[in-house]
Amino acid sequence: MTERFTIPIGPQHPALKEPAHFAFTVEGETVTSASVRLGYAHRGIEKAAETRTFIQDLYLMERVCGICSHIHASTFARAVEELAGVTVPPRARMIRTLVAELERIHSHLLWLGVAAHDAGFEALFMYSWRDRETIMAVLESLTGNRVNYSVNVLGGVKCDITPQLDTQIREAVDYLQERTEHYLHVVNTDRVFLKRTKGIGVMSTEQAIRWGVVGPLARASGVPRDIRVEAPYDAYADFPIDIVLDDAGDLAARFTVRLRELFETYRLIRALLDNLPEGDLTTRFPRRIKQAGEVIVRSEAPRGELFYFVRTEGGSSPSRVKVRTPTLPNMHSVLELAVGAQLADAPMILAGIDPCFSCNDRTSLIRRGGEQDIWSWEKLRQYGIEVYRA
Amino acid sequence: MTTADKLHDLPLTETDTNRLEMPVEIDDLVSVSQVLSEWGYLAAITGLDHGDRLEVLYHICHGPDVITLRVSLDPQAPTVDSLHPVFPQAGTYERELMEMFGVEVRGTPDRSRLLLPDDWPADEYPLRKEASDD
Repeated sequence: MTERFTIPIGPQHPALKEPAHFAFTVEGETVTSASVRLGYAHRGIEKAAETRTFIQDLYLMERVCGICSHIHASTFARAVEELAGVTVPPRARMIRTLVAELERIHSHLLWLGVAAHDAGFEALFMYSWRDRETIMAVLESLTGNRVNYSVNVLGGVKCDITPQLDTQIREAVDYLQERTEHYLHVVNTDRVFLKRTKGIGVMSTEQAIRWGVVGPLARASGVPRDIRVEAPYDAYADFPIDIVLDDAGDLAARFTVRLRELFETYRLIRALLDNLPEGDLTTRFPRRIKQAGEVIVRSEAPRGELFYFVRTEGGSSPSRVKVRTPTLPNMHSVLELAVGAQLADAPMILAGIDPCFSCNDRTSLIRRGGEQDIWSWEKLRQYGIEVYRA
Repeated sequence: MTTADKLHDLPLTETDTNRLEMPVEIDDLVSVSQVLSEWGYLAAITGLDHGDRLEVLYHICHGPDVITLRVSLDPQAPTVDSLHPVFPQAGTYERELMEMFGVEVRGTPDRSRLLLPDDWPADEYPLRKEASDD
């Protein structure tokens, strides 16, 4: 008879790239139950947004996530623009979409590397991250930043596509298209790698619908869920994308769906550059919003549906900002799929959803008693040392 | 009765393009959600603190459409029933709702903390308006 053990993984663990805590109960090597605890990167962003102005919040929201920062900022900007009744100029909408797709490339290549690393395929990890640098260089030339590009302002964007940048983006996309074809070939033919992905963590179409999963994870289980298609925003109404689907629902399908949808992204980027209209980058944005209101704005982030709820009582601040990132609904599927799987596959099943913990975790300030307690860096450091000594 | 008929019978008001809303009594939440689960998926649960009352918003999405169910609660003893039996992923959202707003969710499978640290005071709910963020 095998004994039942609970294996804690995290918050700090070599298989995790960001902090989270999983408790897997195992019988032998088989996982019999799983639970998750998040919050290790919780920073109080939703609460902090309530006491700041819309303009300050735009910068704050960009910092919800370090990987998909642009989609957070542009989703928030769309919400505030809707509350103010402001329409963004066409050229600005196109540039927002263009940067969102550039961000998708860097995010998917980053994920490819991380997931390959989890599978023990270090060469793929190194090559995909080398190629990702192409897109990081483009983003830096375009915006001045590798991360937190800060493209948006309320009412438009602040960076423009020059002829020089146009050439650089096209060259990068041509190069990456060739590389992506190679990676697609590798993940579908490497026999050792396929042992880690084929038939592992299978989620049926019915399960994907029932659990409400989003993004590439849903599409790899045959669910045509993509906000760019279902509720087109920015330039997606005029420049539609084709949904990439796979019915297999296993880890291998999650690799092929993410890589295949990069080709759609490359095609879309070229189309956007070919058709970029002349015109203003910004429009006047009022300092104060006249009336109370609440809006829901959804976008397709690299990991799936990003959901923002913003409410204001009028004025220059929101009274509530709710952010539901794609990792949260997808995390539930990890807990379900891990049950019955081999323990060694659990980190790969987790990697399959492309989890982003800092996206999930948003609020934290400690107040004990009635007194405000401000700690110096040294006091915090000492506290940390004592906690871990105990 | 088809799903479309059942939806037609709900007192939904259009508040914006692709947005429908309806107020729901605490006792009807699960049965109304049951109808909507045939139509869409639960995208998010939003808590709101209006001072004299709390409000919980359940956002159910299908394609471009969002239906929001609004439940008003007494801030002294806010209680709702879990939607876990209807939408399995609701449990995760309810854990966040419980710790951030102090809403009691009856019948939710996992009552442990999702985001807040172990030593966070039990009666302090950070997204209530009375909680200071200084």
